[in-house]
Amino acid sequence: MVSVADKKMNVGIVGLGKMGLLHASILNVWPNVRLAGFCDKSWLMRRVAKKILKDVLVTDELEQFMNLDLDVIYVTTPISSHYSVVKTIISKRLAKHLFVEKTLTRTLSESEDICALSKNYGGNTMVGYMKRFCVTFKKAKELLDKKVLGALRSFDAYAYSSDFAEVEQGSTLSLKRGGCLLDIGSHISDIALWFFGDLRVKSARIKSSITQGSIDSINFSVDGSDNLSGNFDVSWVESGYRMPEFGIVIKGSNGVLTVDDYELRLELHGANPLTYYRQDLKDSVFFALGESEYFREDEYFIRSILNGDSSEPTFSTAKKVDALLESARCKTDE
Amino acid sequence: MNERKLEFLVGDNPFHGISHLSQKRARSRTKEESLFDIERASKLVKFCLENGASGFTFSVSETTLSILETLCQDAQVDLYPVVPYAYEYVRIATKTGGFAGLATKMFKQIALSRDIRVVAPVLFCGLRIDPETFMKTYLMYELSRIRRASSPNGHLKCVILHEVVTDMALALNFRWLFLSYIKFMLKSNVRPGIHTRNLPFLVKKFEEWAIDTSELAILTPFNSIGFEMNPSRIECEKALQNLSRAQVIAMSILASGYLKPIEAIKYVAGIPQIKCIAVGVSSERQAVETFRLLNEQNGKC
Repeated sequence: MVSVADKKMNVGIVGLGKMGLLHASILNVWPNVRLAGFCDKSWLMRRVAKKILKDVLVTDELEQFMNLDLDVIYVTTPISSHYSVVKTIISKRLAKHLFVEKTLTRTLSESEDICALSKNYGGNTMVGYMKRFCVTFKKAKELLDKKVLGALRSFDAYAYSSDFAEVEQGSTLSLKRGGCLLDIGSHISDIALWFFGDLRVKSARIKSSITQGSIDSINFSVDGSDNLSGNFDVSWVESGYRMPEFGIVIKGSNGVLTVDDYELRLELHGANPLTYYRQDLKDSVFFALGESEYFREDEYFIRSILNGDSSEPTFSTAKKVDALLESARCKTDE
Repeated sequence: MNERKLEFLVGDNPFHGISHLSQKRARSRTKEESLFDIERASKLVKFCLENGASGFTFSVSETTLSILETLCQDAQVDLYPVVPYAYEYVRIATKTGGFAGLATKMFKQIALSRDIRVVAPVLFCGLRIDPETFMKTYLMYELSRIRRASSPNGHLKCVILHEVVTDMALALNFRWLFLSYIKFMLKSNVRPGIHTRNLPFLVKKFEEWAIDTSELAILTPFNSIGFEMNPSRIECEKALQNLSRAQVIAMSILASGYLKPIEAIKYVAGIPQIKCIAVGVSSERQAVETFRLLNEQNGKC
């Protein structure tokens, strides 16, 4: 049941791309949420938006949000612009609460800056690591918290997509998107940090297959607490991946847990293996658009605000992902 | 007990390597069964038609249009295309640097189609940035691609609006989009179809907007475990009571391979408002079993 409060929440969206439209649509099914403003730099997207969206401010000037009395702003622009957009929103207090699509920014120092700025912000902050809201990963977290695997020993995490598998050699698109580490590696890094706590990068290898300086594949190994070791393999030039896929194989003293976007398999010593599919894990939501996790993510954020709870991953939690990614990049330079 | 005659459609998910049960397995199965091979895929659809399917429902892509070209040379088939193939357009957007890049590419692609009925409005729409004209132009372009590929034996029964467009338009209250789409399709003598994963929401909105559903086909998941049925199986079943005159096409009846065909088919066949069932198969053996069970529901076997 979608009913959040008596008061209408005014929402502004910065960035009218795929993610902006997706969040705008999901938020608009709440009777108590009102889409009040859209901001985008593209003339074409603004022109289209003005034609089809009624009673909404459409602008390319973020400052114009000032007059909208916004409760929440969603930032869904390319990662490279997050720093300046978020900085403006916080410093000009354009909204009470702030959601930023992953990653928080493109570098650790930018994220640290944002976290410092947002310390006295007061409202909720959240970064869009939506895989936390996928039913299989949620189930894995629940099992790990119950210590079903015993002492954790190692893990192998991956994030693969075919997004750039067929892109021409020399194209700069991959550079513009920020590389696979930020784009898909951040999701699985967030999952790993959520599951295991702090991780330290030991070594890393990058492969630039599209153009020089572009991170198209990366492999890095990490250490965690209590002798945990792990490995990440990330690539967006794999063929045969219709959608990006994320997964992790975790080994513990009691057995092995394998989880991806679709299923979770638990193999404990001396017991029959257990498999949970999405189908087993109550995947339905009030309104589905894209993967069901997007609805759960937005619902959680809005409810957290209304209940006065914090909403994980907050900016400071998400900063840990940026720290891990930056550390992986630095290790390859070494 | 079961007086209505159910229609069966064969779906194209296996030909794109899609499985919502395990994408890993779908990838290896598609390679093993050579389902990316156009000849092989077209033979499999034809085999399904010989075993009880009456039509083919598919996302319009280069792959499925090639399958159609081969299939429609010697098989009579009713066609239920789904447009746009959202996945392909998202991929293009990635390659062209976002929605603006995608729109530019689409303009060019349509303009190069050399069909004057399609090209003229796109130029007009390009100048005015009119989403409604662009939608109609896009639909015209897709209709012309489908008709060209399905000649001479394909019969275009219905064109289905992809769930991403439907559900986004529902959420953003784009009543104009549905009205315009339905009117355009009816004028083109094709049944307008709507694909949704939010059936109760759609029914509520269409009632609110006074949109007549009697001439529509609605493609939506129905299975005994409620997979992809939002917000719940019970709510979706209730919503059907207000759709007695629409052609409801049940999809995901096997919950992406989670359910056994016998239990899956019993469930959907037991719902009187369901007039048609779409199911994907990846081998002849699977086709024989699935369509035998489906045919039994019509008292044929």
